[in-house]
Amino acid sequence: MNSPPEPPSPAERPAVTDAELLAAHINGDPHAFSEIVKRHRDRMWAVALRTLGDPDEAADAVQDAFVSAYRKAATFRGEAAVTTWLHRIVVNACLDRMRRKSVRPVADDELIEAAERETPLPDQTVEREVSMEVSAALKLLPSDQRAALVLVDMMGYSVEDAAQVLQVPSGTVKSRCARGRAKLAPILSHLRNRTDLDRVSSAKGAELRDG
Amino acid sequence: MTGDTHYDLEILAELAEGLLDVDTARRVREHLAVCDPCGELLADLAAVREVLAATPTPAMPMGVALRIDKALAAEAESRRGGVGLAETPDWDELMRDAPWEQPVSTESAPEPVRLGVVSDDGTIVPARRTVARRRRWAMPAVAAAAAAVVVGTALASTSLLASGGGTSGTSGGGDVVAKSASSPPASPATSPPKDHKRAKSYSLTDSGHNYSEQDLRRPIEGLFGFRQAIDNSADAGKVDKCVSRVASRSKLATYAVDQGQYNGQEALIVASWKNKAAKRLRIDVVDPFNCKNLRKPALGHW
Repeated sequence: MNSPPEPPSPAERPAVTDAELLAAHINGDPHAFSEIVKRHRDRMWAVALRTLGDPDEAADAVQDAFVSAYRKAATFRGEAAVTTWLHRIVVNACLDRMRRKSVRPVADDELIEAAERETPLPDQTVEREVSMEVSAALKLLPSDQRAALVLVDMMGYSVEDAAQVLQVPSGTVKSRCARGRAKLAPILSHLRNRTDLDRVSSAKGAELRDG
Repeated sequence: MTGDTHYDLEILAELAEGLLDVDTARRVREHLAVCDPCGELLADLAAVREVLAATPTPAMPMGVALRIDKALAAEAESRRGGVGLAETPDWDELMRDAPWEQPVSTESAPEPVRLGVVSDDGTIVPARRTVARRRRWAMPAVAAAAAAVVVGTALASTSLLASGGGTSGTSGGGDVVAKSASSPPASPATSPPKDHKRAKSYSLTDSGHNYSEQDLRRPIEGLFGFRQAIDNSADAGKVDKCVSRVASRSKLATYAVDQGQYNGQEALIVASWKNKAAKRLRIDVVDPFNCKNLRKPALGHW
């Protein structure tokens, strides 16, 4: 199957695979699991932050997820990539959190500030506005649509990978994405003219229209 | 239906995802060919994907990463019952013959050995371990063992230090523990009386960062140079004591001290100027209780 995008530098691809690290962890290697955490924490953080829209909730969810993965590593059967398995645990931790209690409404400023603390944005004004509107808009979606859009549109995973993570058929992922995008389109349409997205989108639309 | 009736966003989104049956898809496409408003909606949908993809995804903040490390260390401890405490190698002892340690070792008197007590599980606990500690210094036993293993491995892989490692290995735990029990007050020669009341000559920060060997090879400024200095921490006295000991060993001026961890173990990172003009520093990593080096002092740069 396709695995989610590799870390940015394929040149220095680690000699030890995730699966080997997980096996070492199960066999009692005290450092193997922290290496897994180190490799994947940024992506897990991004998924949780975008799915939950709240840095505190996201931190709790990612922590729960990693501890849970640590505990149940022995149940990993190798039927999916380790990254897929980790994503599944993180996404489920997020969905559990959203189900258990309605996530505290968070000021978008707060989320943006949390984001900027770590990643100085190249173009503060445009990207900040876009980011704020996107996080606000995502919160209007039902959690299943939000989770699908975060994985497919924001994180760039294939529909098949997202289906494995969410443990639903690919068609379900597509339909959740379609319904989510339909809800977001009126809210985010004005951003089309903000950047150079307009040209790309029109070309895409034309292509679709012409079959 | 190419006339008045338009398609809604949901149908158009399904078209884009290839979810419509062949006949419906063809009808919608025929409509799109002649209907500008619906074409605009389709472009809006495509823009949603572009906007979502362009939204930056931040890296995990250091505080969250540290939190997770701690939670996993606690999990490791609870699983393994917290037994098997291993002592950290005594770097002061191992590095005694290193060139930069010579001046100190020549003037230091033999240190009296203090006794430890044997605990239930057979390990020897230094008698002085009764000093009350703040919670942030508390560390899971397994994490301590893990840190010791890491340091031990690094030691074994350094040919320069191979003989020192052998000494540590063969002398057994008792010797090491006895050394660790000989605490700062027991060696007046190595801790010259200093007036702790006077203003600090170095900046003290408390990042809590878990340093790795790789971190310390990078310019230190990026790690803690930008952090806000703290003055009146409750730890300042304890830190100052260790800084004095490090300074007495290195004979260098301390520039900056950060409270954090080294491979998961509580540690003070002490940076002293070796050559200020060249921005060369000596980096000592010491434990905050006994001020002993947790790894070989090394050169770093600012």
